This record gives sequence, structure tokens and C-alpha cells, in this order.
Amino acid sequence: MDKLRRIFFWVVVSLTALFLLLPTLIIVPMSFTTTSTLEFPPVGFTMEWYGKVIGAPDWQAALMNSLVVAFAAAILATVIGTAAALALHANRFPGKPIVMGLLLSPMVTPVIVLAVGMYMVFSGWGLVATRLGLVFAHTVLAIPFVVVSVLASSRMVNPSLVPASLGLGAGHWFTFRRVTLPLIMPGVLSGAVFAFITSWDEVVIALFLADAQTRTVPIMIWNQVRTNLDPATAAVAAILIVLSALGVLLSYKFRESR
Amino acid sequence: MTATTNDRSVPVKAGSSRGFRLPPAFWLIVPSVLFLALFFVFPLLKLVAISLPDGSLEYYHQIFTTPVFLRVIGETFRVSLIVTVVTVAIAYPYAYAMAHGGRAVLLVLTIALLIPFWVSLLLRSFSWVVLLQNSGLVNDFLIATGLIDRPLRLIRTPFGVIIGMVHILLPYAVLPLYTVMKKIDLRLMEASSICGASWLRGFARVYFPLSLPGVMASAILAFTLALGFYITPALLGSPRDMMIAQMIAGQFNEQLNFGLGAALAVVLMVLTAIAFGLFGAVRAALQMRGRRTGEA
Repeated sequence: MDKLRRIFFWVVVSLTALFLLLPTLIIVPMSFTTTSTLEFPPVGFTMEWYGKVIGAPDWQAALMNSLVVAFAAAILATVIGTAAALALHANRFPGKPIVMGLLLSPMVTPVIVLAVGMYMVFSGWGLVATRLGLVFAHTVLAIPFVVVSVLASSRMVNPSLVPASLGLGAGHWFTFRRVTLPLIMPGVLSGAVFAFITSWDEVVIALFLADAQTRTVPIMIWNQVRTNLDPATAAVAAILIVLSALGVLLSYKFRESR
Repeated sequence: MTATTNDRSVPVKAGSSRGFRLPPAFWLIVPSVLFLALFFVFPLLKLVAISLPDGSLEYYHQIFTTPVFLRVIGETFRVSLIVTVVTVAIAYPYAYAMAHGGRAVLLVLTIALLIPFWVSLLLRSFSWVVLLQNSGLVNDFLIATGLIDRPLRLIRTPFGVIIGMVHILLPYAVLPLYTVMKKIDLRLMEASSICGASWLRGFARVYFPLSLPGVMASAILAFTLALGFYITPALLGSPRDMMIAQMIAGQFNEQLNFGLGAALAVVLMVLTAIAFGLFGAVRAALQMRGRRTGEA
């Protein structure tokens, strides 16, 4: 009875792990099929779909948009978010919990609500169908991740180092550059990776703000999935899965290096 | 703001030009607050304003009296509730194995949890479309094993939406459960069995009550996130079983009824805030309990 329960338990847990992993990874082999529909197991082996995607002007344009927007949003969110985290870490001030709540709330706001709200406001400001509009929108989504990540790493810093540096005659800027920043760098970098991935994967807001010229890779995928499922889309998905795996490894590397 | 002067973690040079002392780092909060006020808070307030033309509640009245909207809100709750129950039920044994299965099990299960967590929601929904379509792997498998002789309709059904959402929410549900479970001392179960309780009785009377805060936290988190799902139901569901996020998008994209769409968005925002407030309350209660038992 006891043994039976144990077997049942581990079967359930293993099936859950497979349920988590398989649907995510199964797309990768499917992208190598020689058939024009998605098949599993894939029939034959070809890199044709990858060539087709990489050579297509609309995918290239979307890739360019995605890269520009994600880099810009990651930089903006990292600068603003790191500054905020430093201020929150070093100070106690009235209303601090409210400011903290404000900084983190984009994380829990339903993204469709943000999308339509930004659409209404940005259209009045001429930011719809521009890369800049997407950058601002994605920066909003990314700031909480940077704040959380930098706050976590500034808590690890010995609090007497900053006074020590100031006491030895260093200025505030010098202290920041030579003492604080190197110590919180793992948090800053992993926050930047989070911010980049947040923008890179974002689709709902982009659906509302982007047009045919400014559309990003996720918008292209969305359109493909809604119209025709072909192995080319699976090839894009496979590339993105590998890229996010690299991003995760990078972010964990930064965290470990602290 | 002068209250910051009593902070001692950052010493400041006395006597700035303004005549009061503030740690310089304090000003670093300003860009983030301004940025979010402009690009985050203002759009949300704008929605509230659009939903109340001349202060009239007509759109809210329309939402809560028209059967179509009530059905969509009901459907959103129904799907979110089913998804929450299924997700927590699957997450529970998984978190238990992570908490009490030893280092190797923890490592493997954590990797299995994090890989899908980091692949975008859109790609995972895409995977499920491919797997569940009529000529997809799931139907092929069921036909090959002789369980069915014709493909089942899995996509464009509530079933498809639920399975896709459970897959996406599972990591969120496992983590709070794991956090609580790893602090539970398994010797309590041994003690209950020495006292003559069966495993089931020990589990029901000892382990499960101790894990209950984790169950609550993970259920509320899953439910909160489920309420606002858009991509997954749009790709895997049928328009007939639409959830509130799809209805909001439709009001802006197709009906061009911005006032009504804004009112629906405000309703979703309030529902999410209530659900998330519950999450905060459970966590606060948990921390207080942890502190008390820690002192005892």
C-alpha cells in the first residue's frame, strides 16, 4: 500500500515534468521537417525553413524593430530602475510603500488593460505606430524587474562601505562609480536581461501600438499562428527558444558572479 | 520630505544650498515616478475617464445588465476557477517532490519548471495550437493507440484554453507552494504515524493544514493572473467562450466602442486588484504567523 502510493506519486510528478517540458520543446524538431505542414516526428531533415525566414524581408524588418525596441527599452528601464532601487535602498521617506507599490504594479496589471489605455493616450501624443511608443510601453513593463533585481543585490552590499568611501574624502559620484556600482553590477545586469526579454516577448501592447512598419517578431508570429501554421513559424519559435535559453543562462551567470 | 534627514545609512554633507539635508540618492527616485506617472498611471486614469462620459455610469450599467457581458464575465470567472483548481492540484505533488525529494530531484524539477517559464507565453500557446489541432500530435497519438477513431475537437474549445492556461500558470503556482512546504518538518508525519495515524489521516490532519497557506497563496496568484489572460484564449479558444480580455480588445479593435471597452477594462482592473489584495493579505498573515512561531 505504502509502496503503491509512492509509485503513484512519482508517476504523477514525472508526468507533470513532461507536461511542462514537452510542449515547449517539441516545436524545435518540428522546424526541420521537409513537409509543408508541421509534422511530428518530422519527415526528413532540412534547414530550408530557417533560410526562408532569415531571407524574408518582412521577418528581417520585424527582427530589426524587435532588437531596436528591446535594446532601447532595456537600457531605459535599467537606468531608471537602478536609480529607483538605489533611492529605495538608501532612504526612508514618507510614502515609501506607495512608491514601491507604484514601481511594482505594472507587473500585476493585466496587460490588455495597459495596452488599451496606452493606445488611447499614445494616439493623442503621436506615439502610436512609432518605435518610440513601443519603447516607452515596454519600459513600463520592464521597470519592476530591474527594481526587484537591483534591490536584491544592493541588500547584499555591506552598508558601511559607502560611508567609508565618503569619509575617506571621495565624492558621491566617485563613490557610486567605484564602490556602489561594481558591487550591485550583477543585479543591474540580470535586471537588464530581464528587461530585454520582457520587451522581446511582448505581444499584447505591440498589437495595439504597432503598425505594418513597426511590427515586432511576436506580432509576426501572432499573425502566422492565426492564419497558417507552417514550419517557418516553428523555425522562428526554435530560434527564440534557444535565444531565451541563452538569456536565462546569462542572467544566472550574472547572479552567481556576485 | 525632511523626514529623510533622520536616515543614518547615508551620511550627508551638512548645509546644502536649500538649507535642509537630504541624502543625494533620494532624488534618484524621481525619474521612475515621473516616467510611470506619465506612461502607466495616466493611461489607466484615462481609461477611467473615458468609461465615465460626463460622469455618467451608463457603460457600467450596460455591462451589468446586458446578458452578453454578464456571460463573458461569468465565463472568465468559470475558466479562471477551473484553471486555478487544476493548476494547484497538479502543482501540489510537484512542489512536495521539490521540497522533500532531495537535491537531485530538486535540481531536475527546477529545470523542468524554469525552461517553460522563460519561453514566451505566445510561443507556448503556439505549441499547444500545433499539438491540439485536428491533425496534431495529441489526436495522432490517441488514434494510433486505438482510443478514438476520429480526431477529437480539442482546439477552439474551453478544454484547449484550460490546458494551455494550466501549462502557463503551473510555475507560478508551484513556487509559493514550494516556499511553504520546504519549511514543513517531515518528522511531524513520522510522529503522527508513531501515534497510530494512517498516512492519509496524518496527511489530512498534519501536513495539509501546515501547507494550507501555500495552497491559498498559489491559488490566489493563479486566479489573479488567469483573469487577465488574452493570448492563450484568443489562440486556443472559440469566440463563443470568450474571456473578458478578448472582449476588451474587441471593443477597441472591431466595435470601436471605446467607452464600453474602457469600462470593461476598469472592471477587469478592479477584479484583479481585489484578487491581488487578497494575495497580499494572505502573505502578510503568513509572515506574521511565521514570526510568531519563530519566536515561540
